[in-house]
Amino acid sequence: MKSKKILYLLLVLILLSTFLSGCRTKDTSSDQSQKDKNKIATLSYAVWDKNQEPVMRKLAEEFEKTHPNVKIKVQLTPFRQYWTKLETEANGENVPDVFWIQGPRFQKYAKAKLLMPLTDRIKKDNIDLNNYPQSLIDLYTYKNDIYAIPKDWDTTALWYNKKIFDDAKVPYPTDSWTWDDLRAAAKKLTDKSKGIYGIAAPQEDQQGYYNTIPQCGGFIISEDGTTSGYDKPESIEGIKCWIDLIKDGSSPTSKQLADTQPSNLFESGKLAMVFQGSWMIPEFTKNEYLKDKVDLVVMPKIKKRVAVIHGLGNAIYSKTKHPDEAWEFVKYLGSKEANEIVAKSGVVIPAYKSVLQIFIDANKGYNVKAYVDELEYSYMYPHSVDTAKWNQIELKYFTQVWNFQMSPEDACKKIAEEMNEVLRNEKK
Amino acid sequence: MYLKLKERANIPKLEKSKKYNTMKSKKINDYFWGYLMILPTVGGLTIFYIYPFFKTLFYSFTDLGTFGEYSIVGISNYIRLFSDTEVWMSLKNTLMFTIISVPISIFLSIVVATLLNSKIKGLTIYRTLYFLPAVTMPAAIAMVWKWLYNYDYGLINYILSKFGIEKIYWVSDPKIALYSIIAISVWSSVGYNMVIFLAGIQNISSTYYEAAAIDGANSINQFFKITIPLLTPTIFFVMVMSLIGAFQVFDYIFMIIGTSNPALKNTQSVVYLFYRSAFELGEKGYASAIAIMLFVIIMLITIVQLKLQKKWVNY
Amino acid sequence: MKKDVHKFKLNYSKILVHLILILGVIFTITPFLWMILTSFKTLTESTMIPPIIIPKRFCFENYKDAVSTLPFLTFYKNTIISTIAKTVGQVILCSMAAYSFARIEFPGRDIIFILILSVLMVPGQIFLLPQYIIIKKLGLLNTIGALILPGLFSAFGTFLLRQFFMTIPKELEEAAILDGCNHFRIYWNIMMPLAKPGLTALAIFTALWSWNDLLWPLIVNTSNEKMTLSAGLASLQGQHLTNFPVLMAGSVLAIWPMIVLYIIFQKSFVEGIALTGTKG
Repeated sequence: MKSKKILYLLLVLILLSTFLSGCRTKDTSSDQSQKDKNKIATLSYAVWDKNQEPVMRKLAEEFEKTHPNVKIKVQLTPFRQYWTKLETEANGENVPDVFWIQGPRFQKYAKAKLLMPLTDRIKKDNIDLNNYPQSLIDLYTYKNDIYAIPKDWDTTALWYNKKIFDDAKVPYPTDSWTWDDLRAAAKKLTDKSKGIYGIAAPQEDQQGYYNTIPQCGGFIISEDGTTSGYDKPESIEGIKCWIDLIKDGSSPTSKQLADTQPSNLFESGKLAMVFQGSWMIPEFTKNEYLKDKVDLVVMPKIKKRVAVIHGLGNAIYSKTKHPDEAWEFVKYLGSKEANEIVAKSGVVIPAYKSVLQIFIDANKGYNVKAYVDELEYSYMYPHSVDTAKWNQIELKYFTQVWNFQMSPEDACKKIAEEMNEVLRNEKK
Repeated sequence: MYLKLKERANIPKLEKSKKYNTMKSKKINDYFWGYLMILPTVGGLTIFYIYPFFKTLFYSFTDLGTFGEYSIVGISNYIRLFSDTEVWMSLKNTLMFTIISVPISIFLSIVVATLLNSKIKGLTIYRTLYFLPAVTMPAAIAMVWKWLYNYDYGLINYILSKFGIEKIYWVSDPKIALYSIIAISVWSSVGYNMVIFLAGIQNISSTYYEAAAIDGANSINQFFKITIPLLTPTIFFVMVMSLIGAFQVFDYIFMIIGTSNPALKNTQSVVYLFYRSAFELGEKGYASAIAIMLFVIIMLITIVQLKLQKKWVNY
Repeated sequence: MKKDVHKFKLNYSKILVHLILILGVIFTITPFLWMILTSFKTLTESTMIPPIIIPKRFCFENYKDAVSTLPFLTFYKNTIISTIAKTVGQVILCSMAAYSFARIEFPGRDIIFILILSVLMVPGQIFLLPQYIIIKKLGLLNTIGALILPGLFSAFGTFLLRQFFMTIPKELEEAAILDGCNHFRIYWNIMMPLAKPGLTALAIFTALWSWNDLLWPLIVNTSNEKMTLSAGLASLQGQHLTNFPVLMAGSVLAIWPMIVLYIIFQKSFVEGIALTGTKG
């Protein structure tokens, strides 16, 4: 009996403490509003990448040094839950003051008026947007207003394993390679008895067909964002070139790649070449097995040189209680000084163009300049308001193409039809 | 609080029963206690679960988007449901998953629970080991199994190759992937269900077994003649819960079958589809309709089970 | 003579029982062995093909990494507090409601019960947004209270315990009813001790759910000071890259308290046998 009474007491105590602690937070929040009067603003800054979190904290600290009236709280939420959380918070009108945004979601958030337009503030504070790649500025512009300052960017390059090339006596890839060179080399490099493939042709957009489609002269979405380009014969070419690699036997099948990611195969020395985004730099250069054996070049040319670029932006919540402080912080994050700190970390490519050399130097021994070189002919990551919807359509049909259940022609025709339907509904 | 409640309720009741001692006062007394004792749970559930449920029902008749903006669209979400092949496919997958995983899991858990109730050495160790999958986070489980299933370097294919069996695409072959997911689900639920069955078995009075032993019944006979019949309320409970859980399968499929996996179409469950519609595509109105559809199906199945229980459950 | 035969048969069947159990154990723990082995591998070792089964050198760096990047002590504290509160709360509230549903007759009982059951039949994700808004209105965002509150009420627990109460013979209470005991006393003094195995099972389940709950803590809480273990661990998963050995090390660190808890709780199962054995 005694033990039960104790249990009961414990429950009451816990419940009480729960509500008390609830009250306490309420108090602190009213404390905060008190402090607000004394001009101390606490900003929350939502990010999703564990690898970048330390750099973001450092930036926050640096900012606090020069702005004693502002406190920054960096909130890390894993990518998979980040958007679910943000959307829930948006419904409760409780979004972090400053947060990371990505291209595919941007227009949707801008259209819902969750983001603060920055155009006037940029003009007022004389910020030169030429410091950032134009395609990223375009990415974060919606109806003539800019809503986010570019934070970083990534393109895709061709990584290769020198040892496999040496063993097969094939010369290394060069800047002047064409797709045919790639295809021929991949064939020669494939050695199924050792389980080695020349290249991987996974069903991927940013590291795959978003590059080859424009390289063949096609497009994914028209510049005005109203029509799909998938029914163009050039676009179909941009899909076929991947399927050819699988047909040649130079790439693992899509089933195999669904099991083991290309980067994983590459890291264990089973792939001679692989297309990888710039976020993989730290992964490959830190891998003990790989680090002395690999290098990279720009993507081979098909009909012309094009590279898809995507980058994150720092955006401000439209209903933030501290718009001025939030802007100061975003301005700082976009400054040369902050970008230098990011560049030195070598984790991501900073958006500020003039610090790129620092990033290149931070990765000595590897031709990471390849990623930077592609900047010149980069194009904006394809997106519209309902990007997620047509991304699902692409996925649905391309999965069938990659498994030889549908021809690229039929699939692209279907995608174009359904994607146009989505785009039409967007405008309603 | 506990004492006060007791006093308040006790005194009038005693007096009444002395004075009238009628059925009526007992009834009123029953009502009072009946409602009082369910009040906290029912109140909490109403605020946190039942009210949101009715809100979802309402939203299923709207075109609710990502950020809370909506207009009423009548039954068009439900019309779309019926013509959506993805919905039918996901229903089929979910049904397959349920029909296979639930009976296997229940059977294995009863066997394990019965064996773990015998008087053998090392019971604590066994019970703990069997319980391990239940304490592990789904994310970690999914990752480990993905590894074991891997085509190129998974442990399972490695062992099979020792027996001269060809490698299998466990999670990317559309014909096999669903069964691989079922295996994980069974693996992780046996420990769970075992806990309930163990509790149920230990509720069975040992006098039954003693009597049976005197009659000369062997342990297999005892299992079917005593354990199973007396365990039926527990089996019923586990079955209802497992069916509900199986119809809502999501975690492992979400974490193991990637979006470009060729087996996605053949493994996608209803809740996966719901999750994608609500959180990835921002069609919360349509997603609500999917949730309501799933609710109706589970509800019907549960009602059928509740009706049928009188035929085989011994209370 | 007869006794000896019996003994021999028993031993024989005991060996069989052990054999079956060991077979099951192998199936059950292989994934764990893999998990533990991986937690001691270097990142490079973990991605090799064919896989390296036993790491060359058992490196504890992954554990150090996990502990240094995440405030594990705070996580343990938050997780333990919210788990205990939810478990104790659910066991008491659910058993009370379950007793009422199982033993007392009152108008509307079955309808209310079905309404409660219906909560179980909708995907849990739909509750996310309404619950978030309620918690926000209560001013509980970013508190341990937010983690606990919705978890105090459980349709599952009510259903589970109702089933258990229904298996307990009614004769035991009849005497008490004749003595004029009220329902609360019957519930507290007679049913609760009898239902110990069921209560233990519910306690274990609630603890498990609370321990592994991922989405809710992530949504209602923003700071690491109020985060729980599984939610904290999830942040080790990157958008493009995940350091698996560190994640596995973190998982191992997150699992052990539950295992210890389970071993402790097992004893009350045994006590449960004693109780039903003598009284039933």
